[in-house]
Amino acid sequence: MTMHPILAALRKHKAGVVLIALQIALTLAIVCNAVFIIGQRIERVNRPTGLDESNLFLVSQQWVGAPSGDDAASVEKLDSLQLTDLAALRALPGVASVAPINSLPLLNSSWNGAVDHKPGDTNEGSFHGTRTTYYFSDDQALSTLGLRLVAGRNFTAADVGHQGFRDNSEPSVVILTRALADKLFPKGDALGKVIYVNGSTKPTTIIGMVERMQVPGTGTWTNSFVWNATLVPTRMDANFSRYAIRAKPGQLDAVMRAVTPALYKANPMRVLDDDSVRSFAQIRDKAYQADRGMAILMGVVALILLCVTAAGIVGLTSFWVGQRHRQIGVRRALGARKIDILHYFQIENLLIAGTGVVIGVLLALSLNMWLMSHYEMTRIPVLYVLTGVLAMLAIGQAAVFVPARRASNVPPVVATRAV
Amino acid sequence: MLKMTHLSKVYRTEVVETYALRDFNIDVKEGEFVAVTGPSGSGKTTFLTIAGLLETFTGGEYHLDGIEVSNLNDNARSKIRNEKIGFIFQAFNLIPDLNVFDNIEVPLRYRGMKAAERKQRIMESLERVGLASRAKHYPAELSGGQQQRVAIARALAGSPRLLLADEPTGNLDTQMARGVLELLEEIHRDGATIVMVTHDPELAARAQRNVHIIDGQVVELSEDPRFHSVHAVADGAHG
Repeated sequence: MTMHPILAALRKHKAGVVLIALQIALTLAIVCNAVFIIGQRIERVNRPTGLDESNLFLVSQQWVGAPSGDDAASVEKLDSLQLTDLAALRALPGVASVAPINSLPLLNSSWNGAVDHKPGDTNEGSFHGTRTTYYFSDDQALSTLGLRLVAGRNFTAADVGHQGFRDNSEPSVVILTRALADKLFPKGDALGKVIYVNGSTKPTTIIGMVERMQVPGTGTWTNSFVWNATLVPTRMDANFSRYAIRAKPGQLDAVMRAVTPALYKANPMRVLDDDSVRSFAQIRDKAYQADRGMAILMGVVALILLCVTAAGIVGLTSFWVGQRHRQIGVRRALGARKIDILHYFQIENLLIAGTGVVIGVLLALSLNMWLMSHYEMTRIPVLYVLTGVLAMLAIGQAAVFVPARRASNVPPVVATRAV
Repeated sequence: MLKMTHLSKVYRTEVVETYALRDFNIDVKEGEFVAVTGPSGSGKTTFLTIAGLLETFTGGEYHLDGIEVSNLNDNARSKIRNEKIGFIFQAFNLIPDLNVFDNIEVPLRYRGMKAAERKQRIMESLERVGLASRAKHYPAELSGGQQQRVAIARALAGSPRLLLADEPTGNLDTQMARGVLELLEEIHRDGATIVMVTHDPELAARAQRNVHIIDGQVVELSEDPRFHSVHAVADGAHG
């Protein structure tokens, strides 16, 4: 069976052919882009933060009656409260490591700024450089968070200082993520180099590099600096505090239960509620809730579209089989085998679906370009479009199979029956 | 060419068995022009559908061109229909979506014939029925007589061993019917074996032999001596 007679017959049924081809084209365009967006969301949701996330949890608390000013006495008082908490937490059985920290990856609460090769101009009032997120912590940050040091050294106790919540940070040393270090020093020689933090005129030396650490923000606005993190060896003193805690393997739940009583025992003048103690798994879960929801919604929409298109193909083919019932009988009488009739409808569908996917590819690329120009979308890889094309053709063949098989079972004797 | 022995066809439902053919015997020799007649419901169309392998039969034997067909599977029956039998239907049964050329090409494509040979056969058969100039026309653009001529051309293009015609002039007016009948007679004179089912006695009278069916059985056979000489000439021409 060749194409010519099928094409000749299709020319006589233009309306149905055009409608189904357009439906296939639209489905392909929407499904390709939807699957691409879903793929991007899944990639985002599953990307590693750079932390060893197992056995890690975060405690956030607020003191009651603690000073809220930025004067030296208040800062010292707040720092002593924080040191008391750290000592209490580090003494808990099952705790491997504890570090004070202002935020964590995926927490959606960040301290952002910029680092530069040049000192800032104090007259300018603003600063330039490479965008980054600051993590304020101490010498136990790397071990607590499970960050992998790939160059240089860790902070020592002597590097660690403390400052008020609203004080400008002017650290002597910092540890950068490799991504940030490479952006600042593309030759890969960042270690030991001097940078300036947030337009400061005081030089800061890069003493180490960690392999990877994600910024706290999960929105697409962080895409340009998602791996640009700067670790500052400073305890941030405010009337609230956060502690990252690594439990020993298998003791996460027990330690999470133990921290609240331990902190109240150390100082009852504080507020700790149900959300104050969260495992990193819970933080990750909450951070990507919207992404998961969007992925599921788009997946459902894509699935419904595919089902509707498949149903359309089944419907049209069934209609045509009914309409051509006698014609099929005549073909059988003239020597067509069952398989010839089956192939006829399969090839016919392949021609319609083929036309549809050609238009669909153009539509998919156009839709992608529109999304790129209006939203923060990247170019759809060819693989997605090719997979979409093959999937649409396969769905077309699957959808046409049942009515085509019904057609192949039309007996040749139908040709002799009265019209 | 076509031999049925004690053949029967029974349609069964849960409550009743209906014999469409019962102890049916017929032997059509090569080169014969046989008319099968009978009243409505006598079984003549059932005979034709079984003869054309469009339907299976319940009992007895059927040899077509020396082949016992009762045990053939669907593919083998399709192959025989395609290669050995040419059908001419009362309703013409042209495919409306295809033009005349493409309609005649249908059985040749199923035979897997090469394009050049298909084209040659199609044009030869169209010339034979006098419609070579209408190759690109669609069935709806032709008269009933012309459509039946296209159907005859389609049957002839495959050079079948047997032509089966089911009321070939039933849907035509007298003039067109005469033209189609003359064409069939011409085809027969050229040596073709034709079995024609008809309820029209006048049409049957033009055949070489009449087979009358009543209640699914052959009850009368008559032979027209006029055709012996024609048959002999045809045999001689081929011999």
